[in-house]
Amino acid sequence: MRKSFLIGTVLAATIAAASLVVAQDAAPAPGGGKGPAKGQTRGGKGRGPAGPTGPAPRMSDGTPDLSGAWMGSGSNSGDISKGLKPGEQIIMQPWAEALMKTRKSQDDPEANCLPTGVPRGAPYPWRIVQTPTHYFILFEGNIHSFRQIFMNGKHPDDPDPTWYGHSTGTWNKDTLVVDSVGFNDKFWFDYLGHPHTEKLHTIERYTRTDLGNMTIDVTIDDPGAYTKPFTTTGRARLQPNTELLEYICQENNIDLVHVNAPAQLP
Amino acid sequence: MKFMPSIVMAGAGLLLMSLPMAAHHSFAAEYDSTKKIELKGVVTKFEWTNPHAHFYIDVTDPAGKVEHWNLELASPNMMQRNGWTRHSLKEGDIVVVVAARAKDGTWTGSADTIQKSDGTKLTFMAAPPPPDVK
Repeated sequence: MRKSFLIGTVLAATIAAASLVVAQDAAPAPGGGKGPAKGQTRGGKGRGPAGPTGPAPRMSDGTPDLSGAWMGSGSNSGDISKGLKPGEQIIMQPWAEALMKTRKSQDDPEANCLPTGVPRGAPYPWRIVQTPTHYFILFEGNIHSFRQIFMNGKHPDDPDPTWYGHSTGTWNKDTLVVDSVGFNDKFWFDYLGHPHTEKLHTIERYTRTDLGNMTIDVTIDDPGAYTKPFTTTGRARLQPNTELLEYICQENNIDLVHVNAPAQLP
Repeated sequence: MKFMPSIVMAGAGLLLMSLPMAAHHSFAAEYDSTKKIELKGVVTKFEWTNPHAHFYIDVTDPAGKVEHWNLELASPNMMQRNGWTRHSLKEGDIVVVVAARAKDGTWTGSADTIQKSDGTKLTFMAAPPPPDVK
């Protein structure tokens, strides 16, 4: 597994670097003034037009093709409880609820240019790169990083706790199922500061329902912080004519001195 | 430049249209979007940087006292996608800015609209809405 980690890391870094070069060389004109450039949508909660229509594309071997720049995620980044499937509810362990009440916005790892972890999204586009053995999710932000998904792989017995965890992927018909463990407990699920523990186990289900839209369901199982698993659902929209651009959050993060308040919605 | 001490209590409709959206930190924790201020000043610096672009203006009140304002924008990437360039503002530009002021009372704000002296209006300040949910 260590070898596959190394190979994956090197490959991902190479792809990420190549992608950035392409992005910077081939980035489209940034658009003409107010609002999204032609063909773009802003995404968001029902704002703007839906993505382009048409059938979901497939790769030459018939596998669903998830490529493209996307905006969106499988959970509500403001309050994860708002994305619950009907009938679901979040019941926190008392210590987790108490911790959440003490959290302040300026301590949010995302505000400090640290990763959002899983499943929290950020308001920047991302891209899936599919290779036969590894899938990569390249993020423009919140940090300019990537997740790697080991296709048909196995989790290590005792993974080091990390921000994105260890992810394996399989296809269930036309849905990419990503199973992740080995998370650290540092990232927040949302702006409100819903916590989690290293016992976190997530199952994400990505389904490209048509050319311009993807549904993302995420089952969250963390018996350390919640009394039972729950599932959130969200969607992503294709961002036509969009390339990922460089985004180095640590460059000039000078605002936090003014963000002195309890953790709250955006 | 005269400081224009107009704290505008925006109407609900205006609020809905102009409420800045989430960036990488909570907007609501930093700024009071219910109180808009209007500032007329001279740009002293424009930082085309991540995670947010910023520009700084000097605002002179009627008594001649100069206030040094720090005004936050969205990320350069999202601004580029909405028509901005790193040349959209420059040192010496005279601007009228409508902004939400920081709750801590410092000379800090989140710019909402910028009117330049040549009539150019820069309007896309905020980051895009949070990721989709249903």
